[in-house]
Amino acid sequence: MSAEESGKSAELRFTRDMFRAAVFDDIGSEDIGYTNYSYWRSTIRTFFKSMVVRVMVVIVIAIILMSFIYPILSKTDPRALTTNTAEWNLRPSADHWFGTDTIGRDIWARAWYGTRNSFLLAFVIACSDIGLGAIMGALWGYSKKADVVMVEVYNVITNVPSTVYLVLLAYIMGTSYLTLFISMASRGWIVEARFFRNRILSIRDNEYNIASKCLGTPVRRIATKNIIPHIISLIIMETALCVPYSISSEVFLSFIGVGMPVDAITLGNIVNHGRSSFTMHPYQMLLPTIILCMVTISFYIIGNKFADASDPKNHI
Amino acid sequence: MENKIIFSARNVEIDFNLRGKHLKAIRKASLDLFEGETFAIVGESGSGKTVFTKSFIGMTDKNGRVTGGELLFHGEDLAEYETEAQWLKVRGKKIAMIFQDPMTSLNPVRTIGEQISEVFTWHLDATHEEAKAKSIDLLKRVGINDAELRYGQYPQQFSGGMRQRVVIAIAIACRPEILICDEPTTALDVTVQAQILELIKSLQKELKMTVVYITHDLGVVAKIADRIGVMYAGQIIEFGNCHDIFKNPFHPYTKALLKSLPQLGTKGRDLYSIRGTPPSLYKEIEGDAFAPRNPQAMLIDFKAEPPLYKLSETHYAKSWLMHPMAQDYLKQITASESLATHHKEPTQSPGATDSASGDILVSVKNLTVKFKLNNKEFRAVDNVSFDIYKGETLSLVGESGSGKTTIGRALMKIYQNVEGEIRYKGSPITGRLDRRRMRNLRMEMQMIFQDPMASLNERAKIDYIISEGLHNHKLYLDEADRLRKVEQIMEEVGLNKDFVSRFPHEFSGGQRQRIGIARSLVMNPEFIVADEPISALDVSIRAQVLNLLNKLKKERNLTYLFIAHDLSVVKLFSDRIAVIYEGKLVELASCDEIFRHPLHPYTKSLLSAVPYPDPDFEKDKELLVYNPAIHNYQKDKPVWEELVNGHFVYGNQHELEIYRKELMIS
Repeated sequence: MSAEESGKSAELRFTRDMFRAAVFDDIGSEDIGYTNYSYWRSTIRTFFKSMVVRVMVVIVIAIILMSFIYPILSKTDPRALTTNTAEWNLRPSADHWFGTDTIGRDIWARAWYGTRNSFLLAFVIACSDIGLGAIMGALWGYSKKADVVMVEVYNVITNVPSTVYLVLLAYIMGTSYLTLFISMASRGWIVEARFFRNRILSIRDNEYNIASKCLGTPVRRIATKNIIPHIISLIIMETALCVPYSISSEVFLSFIGVGMPVDAITLGNIVNHGRSSFTMHPYQMLLPTIILCMVTISFYIIGNKFADASDPKNHI
Repeated sequence: MENKIIFSARNVEIDFNLRGKHLKAIRKASLDLFEGETFAIVGESGSGKTVFTKSFIGMTDKNGRVTGGELLFHGEDLAEYETEAQWLKVRGKKIAMIFQDPMTSLNPVRTIGEQISEVFTWHLDATHEEAKAKSIDLLKRVGINDAELRYGQYPQQFSGGMRQRVVIAIAIACRPEILICDEPTTALDVTVQAQILELIKSLQKELKMTVVYITHDLGVVAKIADRIGVMYAGQIIEFGNCHDIFKNPFHPYTKALLKSLPQLGTKGRDLYSIRGTPPSLYKEIEGDAFAPRNPQAMLIDFKAEPPLYKLSETHYAKSWLMHPMAQDYLKQITASESLATHHKEPTQSPGATDSASGDILVSVKNLTVKFKLNNKEFRAVDNVSFDIYKGETLSLVGESGSGKTTIGRALMKIYQNVEGEIRYKGSPITGRLDRRRMRNLRMEMQMIFQDPMASLNERAKIDYIISEGLHNHKLYLDEADRLRKVEQIMEEVGLNKDFVSRFPHEFSGGQRQRIGIARSLVMNPEFIVADEPISALDVSIRAQVLNLLNKLKKERNLTYLFIAHDLSVVKLFSDRIAVIYEGKLVELASCDEIFRHPLHPYTKSLLSAVPYPDPDFEKDKELLVYNPAIHNYQKDKPVWEELVNGHFVYGNQHELEIYRKELMIS
């Protein structure tokens, strides 16, 4: 009856009292020990764990702040052109930090005004794409009847090259913010809708949704309580990814000449303008291109990293 | 049994890093494996049995690592291995492992043959022709017919049991010295499970391997195990040979586990159930991990961890009851235990049947549910008819894919495309119903789901989950009334009412299942479809949930349609049992009748496949395998007929004649 007594128990002094029955504790027996895990806290923690993400978030915030504060504080008029040829194509100096363009406008000022405008445009487009996409995607995913129709709509919209109707629209309506918005928003939502439809399809037949159905929960409450909390992180992620996409589309459309009117100050126009004089004065393109790259790259990385962080599998 | 130790794990400790916390998954577990034996590790989910054995082949998950102890194999300490290259010499070649789910362990885009012969060409430098010949040989050995033909097929052309055979073939291709089987049959049907167990047993004898068999179900291992180790909270708390554990269990946990097996219960009585819930990794464990759940625990169990005591040459247990000072107490509890078993005898089953009245609550006639799969239509449920009487429990037993869940969901009106007629309280409920009627139905009929992990919304609090039905039907006066109702039902299912503001992930499987039960009972329904409510639960929790369901039935006068895949579970508290095979009911009779006079060959095979936790009984039990090809329904069409009062069977006139004779004789 001897035993290999472990070190810990050898220290303990045994008394007969210890070998008596203990009182059974009902609550204690149910205590499994639990973690104070919270989905959102863990998502944000995992998200900010990465150094790259922190740097990118700082860059994005800095650029956004700058683009909104600069136009308020600065007295430089980004549209102020001059007939004085001595003021044209100036190299960077104390007066003009990044020089002036071919008609003497200050590039530093134009770049920030342009960033602000491009941002606003991209943000409006992202909101409309994701908003419309999520709602339509939910209907598409939930209703079997809608599915047939929506698949065809999706095929038609995505199979017509967007540049074709963009060029048409630009000719009919003339180039403006509205034209650009209509042309981009008319197409982006369907791609998002399909993305959300696939996600909702995989959530829809989960047992807890069937349980809600058995309990007689109305569809509206199933949507707000069972579906949306599970896709909200996807909505954030898609919005983050949509912003750089919209900005670069705007640049591309300006490049092929169907984007914004020439007098509008957007990143696309500035880059395009700088490009025409690139061989003579390469610095004119420098600043807007750097901002453009930083914005698109950081938004892209932030979006992807957020997607990773929002997956519970990565919460370790 | 040879006495040469082939593998020895000593005081193994494994830590996990989870969100900045150190969790001890394995707390000094030790185990010796003898050459050529079958060692079964039995434990609940979360007891660390998989983590422990995975460490034998260096496969701890990326955030876990072995922090202490030794893994001695042929004189080498595997715990000191650092590189993959070192592990590759052992993993697969010397020690192989089979995992739980045969659906995910095979590559779906490569043929079975490629996947097996790869082992020979990789590890044994065989040529392609040699490898092919050897693979076909191996396929035959694991019991796959037409091995030459099967060699060129893809995994999706194999059934679950066949795939597990292929996985076993791959694992034994290198002739490993140790084969670790991690719950190889948990994902399979009962009848297939029995066949796989036989296969593992015969292979072990033939190849003289050492087999480690991991399972959560004590009932399964009686057949194959030479020795058994019981694991709880990251430790092996008792081990001994098969007889020691089944006939003379010593540790309170092992005893309780054995007692709570549904196979051993008596009809009409509550099953013995272990109270409480197994600890998760987050719980700080002090003393004996089982003490909080052990009604006979001693004070010392809460203070210090018991050492490993030797009971006999083969039998060891970690329990303070072996301490010299505990002998008086031990005598006391053994005396009270034997008294309890004596006391049990005279109470003959008060009969669950009494509660059933003659009124039909639900009546199903010619129910057919069709699904479309890849544009092909198939009948998940095919022309099924039965009645459910008020106050009874009708159990529906069948394998996965037999359509039993579909029937349950059709009754709950989850599918639109239902043919046939379902009547509830005499009026039909198929087709479109008006709003008010639908509302009433949703209040009177409820469902309990199989998987407690999937059936609760992870992003909602318990409070909302339980009161969802109250919200939907406005069954409360004000906020306080609602909360009172929620707390009342939580108490009824045995949950602490302080849990209302927690989220589902903070609960264990059994607790989550009780939350699911509370959710469906809060509206006072009359009829409940219980869809395999215990099959996803641990053995020690099953009895709790079964008892709870039974208690609620009596108190609230409920009627159950109880869906299960295993006859042993339903034996205890069903009034009648219906057996379903591939969408058709094959037999329906009262519970006693089915067990005494099973007629249909499928029912017989189901009965023989139930693992019984007694090594003497199991080791020479003969397994009946059902082969649907024995029926010849070409000319003589089968019918669903009542042979004697209440005993229905499916068969053609010729078969029915034989069944009648069988009934006459018995």
